Amino acid sequence: MSDALKLPFAGEDFVRRISADLEEPKWLLEERMDALRLYDELPIETNNLFTLYVDLRAAHWNDIEPYREIGDAPGVDETVPEGVAALIDVGEDAIVARAMSAEARAAGVVVDTFANVLRTQPDLLRKALEGGQTLPDDDKFAQFARSHAALGLLIHVPDGVTLEQPIVVRWSVGAPGRGLITRTVLSLGENAGARVLEEQLPSAAHTGEGQSLWWGTTETLLGPGARLSFAGQQDFAGNTLSIVNRHATLEQDAQLNWALASVGAQLSKSRIDNRLVGRGSAVHQVEIGFGADRQLFDATSYTRHIGTDTTGDLLSKGVFLDRARGYYKGMITIERSAHGSDSFLGEFAMLLTKQARSVTIPSLEIDQPDVRRAAHSSSVGPIDETEIFYLMSRGLPREVARKFIVLGFLEPVVARIPLADAQDRLRALLDAKWPSTSEAAA
Amino acid sequence: MTLSQRQMVDNDRSRFDFKDEIVYLTETKRGLTRETVEEISAIKEEPEWMTKFRLRAYDHFLKRPLPTWTDGLDRIDFDKIMYYRKPSEREEKSWDDVPDQIKNTFERLGIPEAERKFLSGVGAQYDSEVVYHSVKEELSKIGVVFMGTDQALKEYPDIFKKYFGTIVPPEDNKFAALNSAVWSGGSFVYVPKGVEVPLPLQAYFRINGENTGQFERTLIVVDEGAKVHYIEGCTAPIYATDSLHVAVVEVIALANSKVRYTTIQNWSNDVYNLVTKRAHAYENSTVEWIDANTGSRKSVKYPSIYLRGRGATADIISVAVAGKGQHQDTGAKAIHLAPDTRSRIVSKSVSKDGGRASYRGQLKVAPGATGVVASVRCDALMLDDESRSDTYPYIDIQEDDTTMTHEATVGKISQDQIFYLMSRGLSENEAQNLIVQGFLEVFTKELPMEYAIEFNRLVKLEMEGALG
Repeated sequence: MSDALKLPFAGEDFVRRISADLEEPKWLLEERMDALRLYDELPIETNNLFTLYVDLRAAHWNDIEPYREIGDAPGVDETVPEGVAALIDVGEDAIVARAMSAEARAAGVVVDTFANVLRTQPDLLRKALEGGQTLPDDDKFAQFARSHAALGLLIHVPDGVTLEQPIVVRWSVGAPGRGLITRTVLSLGENAGARVLEEQLPSAAHTGEGQSLWWGTTETLLGPGARLSFAGQQDFAGNTLSIVNRHATLEQDAQLNWALASVGAQLSKSRIDNRLVGRGSAVHQVEIGFGADRQLFDATSYTRHIGTDTTGDLLSKGVFLDRARGYYKGMITIERSAHGSDSFLGEFAMLLTKQARSVTIPSLEIDQPDVRRAAHSSSVGPIDETEIFYLMSRGLPREVARKFIVLGFLEPVVARIPLADAQDRLRALLDAKWPSTSEAAA
Repeated sequence: MTLSQRQMVDNDRSRFDFKDEIVYLTETKRGLTRETVEEISAIKEEPEWMTKFRLRAYDHFLKRPLPTWTDGLDRIDFDKIMYYRKPSEREEKSWDDVPDQIKNTFERLGIPEAERKFLSGVGAQYDSEVVYHSVKEELSKIGVVFMGTDQALKEYPDIFKKYFGTIVPPEDNKFAALNSAVWSGGSFVYVPKGVEVPLPLQAYFRINGENTGQFERTLIVVDEGAKVHYIEGCTAPIYATDSLHVAVVEVIALANSKVRYTTIQNWSNDVYNLVTKRAHAYENSTVEWIDANTGSRKSVKYPSIYLRGRGATADIISVAVAGKGQHQDTGAKAIHLAPDTRSRIVSKSVSKDGGRASYRGQLKVAPGATGVVASVRCDALMLDDESRSDTYPYIDIQEDDTTMTHEATVGKISQDQIFYLMSRGLSENEAQNLIVQGFLEVFTKELPMEYAIEFNRLVKLEMEGALG
């Protein structure tokens, strides 16, 4: 399986044409070419621990043609929604909404495409991208996005600026036979603070016939003392392949919260890299997956403690129905320099049907024993009969009791979503995922 | 990190190692060829099926690439290894008949004493052949077979052929193939239906001779309702060039039986110790691997239990101590293939003086294995900044009513604990030693008393060696 990535659309022609169409400067084309070389050289999985658990057989790459040109839709919506600092909404191959509040604009916040930023503040983008430090150089998928992205987004919050209201990034895809390849760079200056909500939704063009592709990144740079809460909701249609790399570099005392929910897509492959470089930096990460049918959630998470007194607190939870599968692969590395680390990795799964499958590989590599904590924990179990009994004794029918327990298992992630509306939407999604007549309801 | 913890260097293991000059009566040329394999089989006057088995394994060994998921195996020079040596011409039944030179080595390992006091049977392996063997008369009377594997092939051909190579086929992995091609010695145990062996069966064996490979093969068949405890332990002399120990252990636990297999591995620091140990557990049987690795340059060993019958139980305790220059890549596997099966894996590792201890394990629940309860616990203690500890667990669950928990922790000895013990009058060294022994107690408490004492002594020596 590990040699199964043959993307017919990948290659130098594609990369050069996109770069030329976007009138990119030479340094950015060189960036792409560096990434292309890595993409060509790298195997599908470089980590020997995980090679057995990569399964891309569901993807029909030959039937997909990625978008090459992505522009503004006619009449881009520029109204700022209530309670939001900034919004960018991409539907298939067009930017359908782009808006920013007056205060965010006044504070120097940037939420825009690479193409626009190259016209207005090229150095800002160059500083973030050049050298490829924002993505793992051993990951074929990350290097594919870095070389082939047809659209780039930059979100920048300047030094000392804290946004109370969230920034919303929305992606809608699903058109059969089409794919959107993107990068998103998120940089927070010294002592800056922001909340970002990323929504991944089915587009109106979704028909369910033929596959669609969304391939993207979240490349995060947190300056000293910066605080970022990032919430992601992936609810693509069942015909969609979703591939994402999220990568974060944290400087001194930076704080990062990831709250990521995967509900949709046929195949959802993600890799998260947290690099705790600065003293006292901390990442808290919660991921949930709720799979049904033949969905596969393939989630890899690397956390590298480099600076002293850093904290990594990682939790993933999966619930699987029908023939759904979850592959949760984790690696915590505590480097020799990382005295005083506190690191925890938890991977928990609930299988609700006989055909569902859960694989968890919570690994540790520790080079520095002077830790506050270095531990992992994992469990797989059915719904606790005692809990069902208790809820039924309170008057709930068995089926409702089961549903409550499952939704309660996932609630800690839902509660971390920064917008009340978005929280409610995610609850509704999870609720709707619960089948009325499947084996789980028995 | 205290000063004295940092001083833990120069872990001299030579105190456990000594070597005698042996006159070898038969040996093969260095390196592995088809002819070597045929020659081994011919010297042993084996039946044709075994010669064919060896050659099939040899072909697979050549084809199979070295595993890449662990490092350093490419340093083994298979052409420098001597694949067969036979130190004495016949199987010995009585201690008095064993040649003096070999006996001296065993004396220094404490075997005769152990034999007199505790043993119900001894199979001691000196290089590639069983040279000393005795089974207490009463065990023979109740039908328990305990002898060298080569001898069993001749004396119990039917039961041998029925089970040999069925638990670990040559194609299982590269080193199982190598062992299958050149195997020599090891123990064969058969316990008949309903028989409970009242005392542990023990086999000491050791490598001697530079560049000698040791490829013993152990086959244990425990019939329905029977019960046995098998113990092995080993030491080896230090040499400058690499030695190789590639063993295969196959255990069959038939319905309602109970098997415990205890190992204390203490090869010298130049030995690559690559062992495939696997048991099949049938209905309501219990298999226990109690496995400690303190020696070798690199150990690759994951005692495995395939739970094939309803209600079977697997219990694995894996202990590793990695000192200077050592990598213990050890762990355990529990593969649940039948309903209502249970497994428990406990791993404890200590790394120090730049050693590396890696836990690698697998827990699998196959479709159809309903009602499984499984737990895995891994704890690692690192005694200094130069050492390393890894945990690589694989958990693959394909049944919805499985109950599985896994926990792992890595840490150092807390200064509070040391301080407390020192306030009670212990030296710092004694305090550390006590904490390490306490950490490993989950293992030592499962050992017969004399082994527990020996093991604690070993740990103490290691700690003292480190603290100088």
